[in-house]
Amino acid sequence: MNRADMTTQRPWLYTQFAIIAAAVVLWWFGWFGVPPAPFEAFFVSMETWPVSKAIGESLWIYPLVQALHLVAMAFFMGAVMLVNLRLMGLGLTQTPLAQVARSAAPWIIGGLVAMFLTGLPQLMQNSSREYYSEYFWRKMSFLLVSLIMLTISMRFMTRQSDSAAAPSGFKIVGVAALVFWANVIIAARLIGLFT
Amino acid sequence: MFAELLAPLRSLAEYVDMMPSSIAFRESIYVSPYTTVTHVLAVCFFAGLILVMDLRLLGWAFMRTPFSHLQRKLFPLQMLGMAFAGITGLVLTFGDPLRFYSNIFFWTKMLMIVITGINAMAFEYVTQQTVPQWDNSPITPYAAKVAGGVSLFLWSTVIIAGRLIPYNWFA
Repeated sequence: MNRADMTTQRPWLYTQFAIIAAAVVLWWFGWFGVPPAPFEAFFVSMETWPVSKAIGESLWIYPLVQALHLVAMAFFMGAVMLVNLRLMGLGLTQTPLAQVARSAAPWIIGGLVAMFLTGLPQLMQNSSREYYSEYFWRKMSFLLVSLIMLTISMRFMTRQSDSAAAPSGFKIVGVAALVFWANVIIAARLIGLFT
Repeated sequence: MFAELLAPLRSLAEYVDMMPSSIAFRESIYVSPYTTVTHVLAVCFFAGLILVMDLRLLGWAFMRTPFSHLQRKLFPLQMLGMAFAGITGLVLTFGDPLRFYSNIFFWTKMLMIVITGINAMAFEYVTQQTVPQWDNSPITPYAAKVAGGVSLFLWSTVIIAGRLIPYNWFA
């Protein structure tokens, strides 16, 4: 990466560091599993909506969206992993970072849309259980942090960098992003196991 | 027919089911759930990296990266993920063999995994030989598209069948 690129990207790199530090502190002090009280009434009422009840009563909608949610996740994580591995200096090292990010973008955005569309019916059908589950909120907290980091990485940190070796700071961003995404998945699976 | 085909495994499943280690795993408070979590994580890691390679074979993504480079870099990571997914999967099956023995989705998943293996082997011994001809090309040959498409479809069905195992509709 040349000097001009580094100058424009450095503020964003430091922003990422600040987000990582804030996330680790909040996680450490247990703020990642707290249900937000103002939303309680909304979440409790959501599963009584006619459309939510219809989802719950259908024999196949819920299993189908659960399965498709996972398929979308696999596509999404494949694309996200290649971008973050590239930030870490692993994976497609012969391809410029900008090119890896550009090629991954449609699969990342498509995966997010598909996961939102298949996740929402699951939430609606089960909304009060989800509200009172610390794992649901841990998932959402890690998801929020990961999405902010992903947006910054994709928009501001993967432009015009042609060299194979990424600056060392990028490695921290790549590792942290993958750890946070893994925690989204771990927490998501724990909702069903420990709630 | 399907039930007769699996009949010899019935006594094995019953034998494993009675083993103290299998019972201990099944009744554990944390070991069993966290093995499930590790399995899901490993499958996501492994399937994600397989699917991006399938997208490259289909000509849908990462076309500026030579196929041989993508394959060389991702293969060790795919094998690592597969090892974790395989070992945790084996342990989960060991922990509750009778549940999986009588589950149609479990056997669908196993069958799909075997077919993906055959597909991967067919690619390795046939189409792999032609890679130098299209390594940098923006278009992949028909044989590569078929291999990628079949793999993409089968791994998706593996994930779907795996998620449907708790729904034992056809026991």
